[in-house]
Amino acid sequence: MTAATAKTPLQADAPSRNRFAAQTMSHILPAILLMAAVLAAWEAIVRLAGVPEFVLPAPTQILRTLAERQPQLLVASLVTGEEVLYGFALSAAIGVALALLIARYDRFGNALYPLIVLFQNVPKIALAPLFILWFGYDLLPKVALIVVIAFFPIALNMLVGLRAADPNLIALLKSVGASRNEIMLRVQIPNSLPYLMAGMKVAITLSVIGAIVGEFSGASAGLGYMIQFASTQMETSLVFAALVEVSVLGVLFYYAVEFVERRFVAWAPNNQVE
Amino acid sequence: MFDIHSSALSGNVLSDMFQAPVAAARESVEPARTPAGTAQIRASGLAVDFTNGGKRIRVLHDVNLEVQKGGFVSLIGPSGCGKSTLLKVLAGLLAPTEGVVSVAGVTPVEAVRQRRVGLVFQEAALMPWKNAIDNVCLLMEVTHKHRSRSEIRDRGMEMLKLVGLEHAALRMPSQLSGGMRQRVAIARALALDPEVLMMDEPFGALDAITREAMSDFLLEIWERTGKTIVFVTHSIDEAVFLSKEVYVMATNPARIIERLPIELPYPRNEASYSIKPFHDAATHLRRLLKEGHRNGSFA
Repeated sequence: MTAATAKTPLQADAPSRNRFAAQTMSHILPAILLMAAVLAAWEAIVRLAGVPEFVLPAPTQILRTLAERQPQLLVASLVTGEEVLYGFALSAAIGVALALLIARYDRFGNALYPLIVLFQNVPKIALAPLFILWFGYDLLPKVALIVVIAFFPIALNMLVGLRAADPNLIALLKSVGASRNEIMLRVQIPNSLPYLMAGMKVAITLSVIGAIVGEFSGASAGLGYMIQFASTQMETSLVFAALVEVSVLGVLFYYAVEFVERRFVAWAPNNQVE
Repeated sequence: MFDIHSSALSGNVLSDMFQAPVAAARESVEPARTPAGTAQIRASGLAVDFTNGGKRIRVLHDVNLEVQKGGFVSLIGPSGCGKSTLLKVLAGLLAPTEGVVSVAGVTPVEAVRQRRVGLVFQEAALMPWKNAIDNVCLLMEVTHKHRSRSEIRDRGMEMLKLVGLEHAALRMPSQLSGGMRQRVAIARALALDPEVLMMDEPFGALDAITREAMSDFLLEIWERTGKTIVFVTHSIDEAVFLSKEVYVMATNPARIIERLPIELPYPRNEASYSIKPFHDAATHLRRLLKEGHRNGSFA
């Protein structure tokens, strides 16, 4: 009895992988079932009530459009994806830089922090027409809009992480003569990484929104442009197809960030495998 | 240059610090830096005021204290008696409002800067993103910049061996128990070979059984290394079991009310808990603390 119990933690490999797969299955199964039920109900209502296609297309119709117009949708996805990528990368660079400066230089922080908070309360989407005016119709105004929307959660989360470093650990380093830069490098920055990743997860979602809104305000390509154009043409099933594409894009970006998180800040309590 | 404070150890600084750390630690019992039997820590007329909303509050009142080299002194008292504040003053983390403090003949700040004081807190304060050995090496990496990485790691491993954790060198803090984490913190403090170890309720967050095991462990380390230890606790048994001397503190105003030498022979072990001197000292302390409490703010 005792021998058998003692053995269990060691004999992990093969059975645990199967068990893991089974567990994942049982985790996502309810979600799949619910979604299938919703789609079936949607399909049934549209067909039975005879809802016109330009008002609400049936899921099967959306699927058909998704397949038929895929080349066009793919091109649009690449345009929007590029905007998100550049916008997010720039937001991350600016957010991290601001957080580091505010945490490292008190004067700078005192001057800048209230302004950032104030700026955060400006409805940033309202800036889109200005960016079109200043930067034209291409990539640049979308990147600018994404940055003003997405840098804040990154800067704020990172700043919280920098300031949440263990005060005893900092006191210890100070007591042996470590400089402020050293304390930053050895303790505060590593400590901020899980917070930074949390901020990035919020920011990547906001980046996709920023790109779409940017395209709504003025664009000649991209999924947002496509949604707006298709709706003026009453091509509602194309609107839905583009929405599906945007969602897939958003999920891909989100999991890319989460992958980086699991890979590089595995020590943080939230990322530990049970 | 590399190690300002051990100039008295002169020629074998390198071997002391990096090749035979345990032997070096034993040597420091000898009159290497501060002659044995003289006061290594001395505080007189010490007072600390905090300002809170324009109101001055005296959190420490007229403290006089003397710790011999190689001594083991505990500060005990109810919460709010200023024992942690006193330790902070001794460790140079807080400047006193009045009075004079010297640690190893210099001011506390200077003593800490010269790495003659090692600090251990109630929480281990480890970096969760680094494994045990890297945590032990942290302070050495700051202070011994011109030492090679492998020298620092060797010294770190020696320290982990000293605290009995060489097998756990590569484990992350989250994979260590509370007691093990605290031992890593002690190894980190010992790595700089300080003369004095100041510990602020280091076992306060541990369960009772781990706590007693850690007390045994600390006495063993103390006997092997000959460090001077100042130990803050609110556990009577812990204070009696560990200390050569116990300073009893009380609130209102926060002050020292008695200095009690513990007449319990070393080496101390399981059996020490059940002999008369232990019992007498514990009873005496319990009575003092109760009186202090009764006269305090809760009366």
